Amino acid sequence: MESKFTEAYEQSASESGHETNCEKIIKLLDAVVDGEASAEEQIFFNGHIEECVPCFESHQKQKLLKGLVSGHLKRRIVPDRLAFSIKAKIQETTV
Amino acid sequence: MSDQTGKQMSKEEKDARFEAELLPVLDPLYNFAYRLTLDEDDANDLVQETYLKAYRFFDYFEQGTNAKAWLFRILKNSFINEFRKKSKQPAKVDYSEVEGYYNSEDVEGESGVATTTDMRTESVQDLIGDEVASALNALPVDFRTVIILCDLEGFTYEEMAKILDIPIGTVRSRLHRARNSLKEKLEKYARSMGYND
Repeated sequence: MESKFTEAYEQSASESGHETNCEKIIKLLDAVVDGEASAEEQIFFNGHIEECVPCFESHQKQKLLKGLVSGHLKRRIVPDRLAFSIKAKIQETTV
Repeated sequence: MSDQTGKQMSKEEKDARFEAELLPVLDPLYNFAYRLTLDEDDANDLVQETYLKAYRFFDYFEQGTNAKAWLFRILKNSFINEFRKKSKQPAKVDYSEVEGYYNSEDVEGESGVATTTDMRTESVQDLIGDEVASALNALPVDFRTVIILCDLEGFTYEEMAKILDIPIGTVRSRLHRARNSLKEKLEKYARSMGYND
């Protein structure tokens, strides 16, 4: 009963423009995984995910997603002739 | 004659400085160009044009400042102005990468090379990479751009705002929407592979 009351309260608070802590955490996810959160934001974030399992899991997923791009996306190999061609064009250019 | 020699010398100096400061960025710049155009020839042309523009405006470049962000900004502007129209549509998937993967498997099999645990792990890594590339390539170019700049090239939000000419708040919201979209595509793939969550 009590949790239902809290959920209902948080729902109405959210609709009236007051964010729940979980909504604030979702908005902070990117800044946290990118190392762009302020010290205050980071403290609030850490405190919340210690107690909230869904937000903890969202954070894990966001880290995984960033890791997939940074760690698994293959880099294209620069064609050998490109640097040579750029140098040649620059040397031809008169300024 | 002496004037000409002086001019020649200054061009040589400029060229040397240009090459020393800006050519080391060639590798990330080419990768960025490829991820925007999804085409090797277009990426080549875009990178060449970027360097030629940078050369013309090199006097405005402050030595020792962020050459990488400066070149990325020039490339992004060139892409928007000239290359966007002719670049491949986002829905097109880069099948050559996937194709290359399967072909290399065949070759290894035929040559009788034993598949070690390491090679298996490497193949799985490649497959994940192909899937990430396909999902990323299927995103609209504005979404692709913020993910590449942030996750692949490690630019800060402030640098991204300068490269893209948008406020930091827009960088944040675009990145948020881009990641949600990428997550959706990868989750769909994970479900098709039998992972439920």
